[in-house]
Amino acid sequence: MERAATHLPKDQCFFPSVCLCLRTSQKNWCTRSLMTPCSSCCCRLHEELKMAKSGDGIHILQGLLVFGNVVIGMCGIALTAECIFFVSDPHGLYPLLEATENDDIYAAAWIGIFVGFALFALSILGIIGVIKSKRTLLLVYIILMLITYAFEMASCITAATHRDFLTPNLFLKQMLEMYRKSEPINNNDKWMTEGVTKTWDKLMLENQCCGVQGPTDWQEYMSAFRTTHSDADFPWPHNCCVMDAQGSPVNLDGCKLGVPGYYNSNGCYDAISGPMNTHAWGVAWFGFAILCWTFCVLLGTMFYWSRIEY
Amino acid sequence: MWALAAAGGSRGDAEPGRPHSRPRHPGTRTMLPLLLPLLATAHGLVRLAYAPTLAEETLGGLTTTSTFTLEQPRCVFTEVRDDAIIWLVVAVPEAVPSFNDSVEPGTPERAFQRFPAGAPAYMTLNTTLPNYPCPKPTGEITVLRVGSETACAGSETRPTCNGPLPGPGPYRVKFLVLEGSEPVAETTWSKPITLRTARQPGSIPAAGSGRSAAMIALTAILSILFAVLLAGLVAMLVFWGSDAYGGSSTFSKPEAVTVQRYNTHHVYDQPAARL
Repeated sequence: MERAATHLPKDQCFFPSVCLCLRTSQKNWCTRSLMTPCSSCCCRLHEELKMAKSGDGIHILQGLLVFGNVVIGMCGIALTAECIFFVSDPHGLYPLLEATENDDIYAAAWIGIFVGFALFALSILGIIGVIKSKRTLLLVYIILMLITYAFEMASCITAATHRDFLTPNLFLKQMLEMYRKSEPINNNDKWMTEGVTKTWDKLMLENQCCGVQGPTDWQEYMSAFRTTHSDADFPWPHNCCVMDAQGSPVNLDGCKLGVPGYYNSNGCYDAISGPMNTHAWGVAWFGFAILCWTFCVLLGTMFYWSRIEY
Repeated sequence: MWALAAAGGSRGDAEPGRPHSRPRHPGTRTMLPLLLPLLATAHGLVRLAYAPTLAEETLGGLTTTSTFTLEQPRCVFTEVRDDAIIWLVVAVPEAVPSFNDSVEPGTPERAFQRFPAGAPAYMTLNTTLPNYPCPKPTGEITVLRVGSETACAGSETRPTCNGPLPGPGPYRVKFLVLEGSEPVAETTWSKPITLRTARQPGSIPAAGSGRSAAMIALTAILSILFAVLLAGLVAMLVFWGSDAYGGSSTFSKPEAVTVQRYNTHHVYDQPAARL
């Protein structure tokens, strides 16, 4: 049996920390109990406080967070698309990297594909969480975002670091040791040698270039090519010659002599490093930009999380 | 277009009955003052002041590891009959002082296959004067590539093979004109020609793993941002934990708090500090 509650005037009520307001899920409604005669005013005070908290400031923060998450979602899709483009290897340079056994910029692009998807999915979760102001949802969002953040960080750092390994000397050494190597050691070596040979032949034909820095690469260094092709007949591979429409040299003697106009005198390094730089910097710096933005959004979400009612 | 000299045949052009006479050439009149001292050495060797030189520098394959390219001797042999054979002599520098012009080409002493150990010099690229027409047409590249024949390099049956040179040299060359087996003219020896030497690819410095500034900046900034986020997450969880703890304590002892305070008569005396 309940005792009749005494209603005191508002200014005689205690603050909510003394009164007890029972909470049920997200709704703040108070129950009156024997112990709290000020229950009604306590709840009213609480209501007023709550109104102050979820005023314009919170709405602005909500709006910003939703906008931030939309941008993250779109950037996630863009990152996925960019990384799929790189992984598809439009310039056909992957066999060169595979042979160096240092193809981690491709691993970075693969990670980028999945991170992009994850960012898109998590941004949707974030938008729902922010609009509904649910604490658990936002906590899950923050933790999953941090995991995705860590993966994307790994991808960016890998792409940037391994780009530094790709120097002209690396490709020169690989070309000299593997191009048209006649006696591969094992199947793996054979696979890599064939890849390198095909790639170089295609590079020299399509880009009208020869060697890494020029045709003199074939003269200055011994090579696997030189062991099977004599210097007098092949001062440099015949793919270095200017070809006619049928794919044979316009003038083989002119090519062997090195007459300007009948052989390709420039090196292929630009044709190799250009696409690889684009690839590595595209993954690294776009990822960096996304992460900076995500950092701001996550900080905002953490702040928002601490402000919403539980 | 350019002209490469290959092994050519000789044309018989001597007047019958006068094997050592030569037909009149248009430039003979200008050469008349020189004929008098030359008549004195009619049966001797004509030493021309020309020295064979490498072709122009713009050729990418001027010297390779086993070939080199000479300029053709155009307008050099003015006193030579059309049927005389012009040979190119390639020798190691040590053989130059003791070189004997009378040794026949094609003998083992002048065989390419024995060069340089068994034969200190060899003769090749034999051709006749009509293959070096004078004057040289402008715009044409006229060269001789020494070392271009690989097919006969090993066969002893072709001692005058223009095969690839066995080592980086140096080598000295000259042109020698023979009529029959009689040397009639020669150029001076060229400067020593050294060919390229190929290094091993192992000598290429290993790919430098220099860290670029951009990569370091990227790594540093991302690490700091990630650390800040983790700190924020930890703060959040601590805040949540303390909040929940504070709430539950309030939850768990409602009686203790409210019973004490339930004293409407002394409402104004209760200290605000309890709040």
